[in-house]
Amino acid sequence: MRTIPSSLFLLALLAGMTTTAVPAAAQGNPIKIGAILPLTGSGASYGVWMKGGAEMAAEDINAAGGIAGRKLEVIYEDHAADASKAVNAMRRLVEVEKVPFSLTSYSSPTLAIQPIAAQNKVVIMNGGGQSDNLANKDYLYNNIPVVSNEVGVIATWLAKEKKLVNAVLIVANDEAGRNSADTFREKFGAAGGKVLAEERVALDATDFRAQLAKLKARGGDLLYVSSYGRNVSIIADQARELGITIPMAGTSWVLVPETFKSKGAEGMLVTKLPFDPNSAFAKKFKDKYKTNAGFFAVQYYSATMIFAKAAQEAIKKNAGALTGEGIKNAIESIRAFDTLSGKLVFQANHGAVMDIEVGTLKDGKVQVEKVIKAAP
Amino acid sequence: MDLFLQLAATGLVVGSLYVLCALGWGLIYGTTLHFHVAHGAVFTLAAYYAYAAQKFLGLPLAIAVIGAIVAAALSGMLIDLLIYQPLERRGAIRTTLFIASLGLLTLIENLLAIIFAPDPLRMDVGWLAEAVQLGPVFLTRLHLLSVATAILGFLALMAFLKYSLWGQAIRAVSSSPEMARTVGIDLRRVHLLTYAVGSAISAPAGILLAMDVGVEPYRGTTFVLLASVAVIMGGIGSIPGALLGALFLALLENLGVWKIASEWQSSISFGAFLIFIVVRPRGLFGRKIQSAEI
Repeated sequence: MRTIPSSLFLLALLAGMTTTAVPAAAQGNPIKIGAILPLTGSGASYGVWMKGGAEMAAEDINAAGGIAGRKLEVIYEDHAADASKAVNAMRRLVEVEKVPFSLTSYSSPTLAIQPIAAQNKVVIMNGGGQSDNLANKDYLYNNIPVVSNEVGVIATWLAKEKKLVNAVLIVANDEAGRNSADTFREKFGAAGGKVLAEERVALDATDFRAQLAKLKARGGDLLYVSSYGRNVSIIADQARELGITIPMAGTSWVLVPETFKSKGAEGMLVTKLPFDPNSAFAKKFKDKYKTNAGFFAVQYYSATMIFAKAAQEAIKKNAGALTGEGIKNAIESIRAFDTLSGKLVFQANHGAVMDIEVGTLKDGKVQVEKVIKAAP
Repeated sequence: MDLFLQLAATGLVVGSLYVLCALGWGLIYGTTLHFHVAHGAVFTLAAYYAYAAQKFLGLPLAIAVIGAIVAAALSGMLIDLLIYQPLERRGAIRTTLFIASLGLLTLIENLLAIIFAPDPLRMDVGWLAEAVQLGPVFLTRLHLLSVATAILGFLALMAFLKYSLWGQAIRAVSSSPEMARTVGIDLRRVHLLTYAVGSAISAPAGILLAMDVGVEPYRGTTFVLLASVAVIMGGIGSIPGALLGALFLALLENLGVWKIASEWQSSISFGAFLIFIVVRPRGLFGRKIQSAEI
């Protein structure tokens, strides 16, 4: 009676050993990673770019033989800009799918899942959220500059070169919106500007007329939009409808298809992160998804590629095993990655620096006036 | 002063949508005593009907809107016919009807989210979206249309209730169902009619919202909540009460922003409601609310 189970056990052990002995086999299990993105809600336009970028990267990686011979599989989750949804998605990815890595996006959702990531040693990479609070967090890497860099550039440009010094602010009442507004106050003030008033609005609101009317009554020569996604175009249209004629400004967050189409947003002063709409990538994206690519498509393509390179390294170093800790160590040791938008070097604060362009929104495009080079 | 006028005008525009929603809900509640929260779903459905008729069937705007109002009226009638009436025949209490209504609201909202995605749909209104300036106040043509629709809706409803035979039957049931039954009024048919009229009068609110800022599947919940607050404030069973309650809420929300930080906007109306319900439970014009009626 006793011999049969023990031999079975032995067999199972042997079988287990053989599978672990050849981890690099092409027929091995796919490597699963997560991607927690704004697939619905006011930021759904970013979601199209982010998901498309990650999908294209996964296809390219798999077409080139996968990661150490294993196929890459991305599991997409929707956070709809809601931190609690992001937490549920992250729990599912960690507990059910057992991913060692996930792409993430937006500031509030990313800050909400970071403790889960750190606790479970799962690396998360954010290519979209820009709150300053995203820096210096364990297991969180940002392949995008934090917003203070961009806000600093635009605040100085507006005050010093455009001579707009009395600003009123309309602010999305979330981590990203508030953080960007606070930074704007600080940098605009340092450049000689003054913030006259600030109104906070819900990110998913659709009627901003009361707040805009209040800002209009305060005067000022500049309306700074510290918000993002679909509501930027609604704010711009409703502001013009209310007879607000002063210039509007915002960071690269405002550059979504809705804003490009909005009549009210014409002439908006913006920052832009490097993205070439005529690149081979942008053309391929347009063919595949029937919509123009944007900066964030490149960002999530790059983030997925950075993961692939780090994972390859981690698998090599750890005798075939792929863990979050291994990925983290690989990112720390490689540091500089080649991406579609040039060399990306992770800083000590787990963030990236990039060139920042400033310009005017015109006919659905940004007419760049000036490029501020990233500090080395 | 300019700011006050602008906020008052914006409040009036938002208020006209609240008014239409509250008139319909108030008529239904005052007559049937069903706490019909699924009215929110009818409101949203009307917007989606109009959107679909314009976008997928390619109908001209005016035809799409009329079609959507008729479809919304039928939807309201179907809810009464298929859900409330069978429940009432089996002797269900009001709380059961309320829970059923809440379930239906959630179901329809989620179905819309699955079919159309949870993002707002905005109808194409062409020249109606153009801005007009009235002294220091800036509005769009659509906003003026909203206000006109609310005024017309109110007057039409008052005239219908006062002068038409069916309207008088509704009033009879509203003031005393037992008495109405004694004189030979068929309660079930009056209820059906009430659902048709109540749904048709609120449908333009959903459609106008879809034309202005867009409608997403869950928008009806907010509106039906505000409508019920407006009706209770105005006095249950009173049509002018519903109008005043709805206008009061909208003006309070918008003028409140003047002095209070705008992130408190939606808290203002419910705060006022709490004070109101404690101080004057019978509302402005209505009968006293019995706890059993809610």
